[in-house]
Amino acid sequence: MRSLHIDGDSVLHRLPAGVKLATLSVISLALFMIGNPAFLAGAALVGLAGHTLLRISAAEIWRRMRPFALIVVVVALFTAVFNGTTEGLIALFRLAALALFASLVTATTTTGDFIDVITRAAMPLERLGILKARDVGLSIGLVIRFVPEILSRYEVIRDAHYARGLKPRPVSLIVPLIITTLRSADEIAAAIDARGIRRQK
Amino acid sequence: MDIHFEKVEVRFEGRTVIHPLDLTISGRRIGIIGLNGSGKTTLARMINGLVKPSAGRVTVNGFDTVEKQDEARGQSGFIFQNPQNQIILPLLREDIALGLKSRKLPKQEVTAAVDAILHRFGISHLGDRRAHELSGGELQLAALASVLVTEPKILVMDEPTNQLDLKNRNLVERTIHTLPEDVIVISHDLDLVAGLDRVLLVHEGRIAADGEPGEVIGQYRAMHEGKD
Repeated sequence: MRSLHIDGDSVLHRLPAGVKLATLSVISLALFMIGNPAFLAGAALVGLAGHTLLRISAAEIWRRMRPFALIVVVVALFTAVFNGTTEGLIALFRLAALALFASLVTATTTTGDFIDVITRAAMPLERLGILKARDVGLSIGLVIRFVPEILSRYEVIRDAHYARGLKPRPVSLIVPLIITTLRSADEIAAAIDARGIRRQK
Repeated sequence: MDIHFEKVEVRFEGRTVIHPLDLTISGRRIGIIGLNGSGKTTLARMINGLVKPSAGRVTVNGFDTVEKQDEARGQSGFIFQNPQNQIILPLLREDIALGLKSRKLPKQEVTAAVDAILHRFGISHLGDRRAHELSGGELQLAALASVLVTEPKILVMDEPTNQLDLKNRNLVERTIHTLPEDVIVISHDLDLVAGLDRVLLVHEGRIAADGEPGEVIGQYRAMHEGKD
């Protein structure tokens, strides 16, 4: 399985996961409260510059951001068409900055640390008897774990099309992708049960 | 180990996968063999409560796998056919710790237990590696470590040598034979099960033979070799 986490010993790697997630939350709120495209572009540049701490190539940064890039561009284009160019630029830089900062957090935080910090954050809700904190942490950890896995599966299915001389089409890509992902999710759920990770009591 | 299947039957979508079965599994190392689709994996999955019987009950060391699911699961660990699906978190060390953290153990205890299990299987150097970087044999050892870290008394392994090259297959076989835990191995690898204490042959959802490995394997070969 691929991972969004990148090994390293940077300042960001050493920061506690809770601090990184709290800071990301504050930055995200700030990005949505600010409507100045120049400032948002600057924030996106800071997010991009932050990736130098990871000591990865520009190609690797692009590989990480590519899945989000399409979404960001589509949303920005729609916003520009319906609300004007300035609003389009604001959407473009805001979402790009958000994705870049989030990428920095996922690159420097292991899935286990995500699970631990979210479990701790959900403990007050467990004390109120609303939910099991460990289940919340595990669920979010699994989402983070599955993102690169789904991309890998997409590439395998796409390559299978090429290998058979077929042109990949949305339906012939998405249907097997959903089926294999659900099947894999079943197996992972069985492994979680078998290992007693999600206990009944 | 002390596993009882009492009048157990399993049906899926109107099809009987396991016919009414009374079976006691005890001893140290048990093999289960049979054709694909014969019901081997269903039988084994019931031990861990992953498959619930449609009728009857299964007890593992005295715990009912439905009514006392957590306790029954605490008695047995399960190694899946594809160890990739067993490893839940990318980093091996974190994955092994996952089962312990759910028991809310202190951090130092978790770290010590993870170090100890990695050392036990000679894979301390792999602790900070990612699952997709490991070889087939290393993955099997990692899956074993992730399950045995919670100290189950019984280990159920579904096709542990499936898709392994000869070197890794031999590594897994050696490991199985040196495990102090009681082991149930489901396998098409007849050389592997030949070294166990007792073998069950499952055929079309029924136990077709049960006894000493040589005899049962001989019966299995007689049933299927040379037949299309």
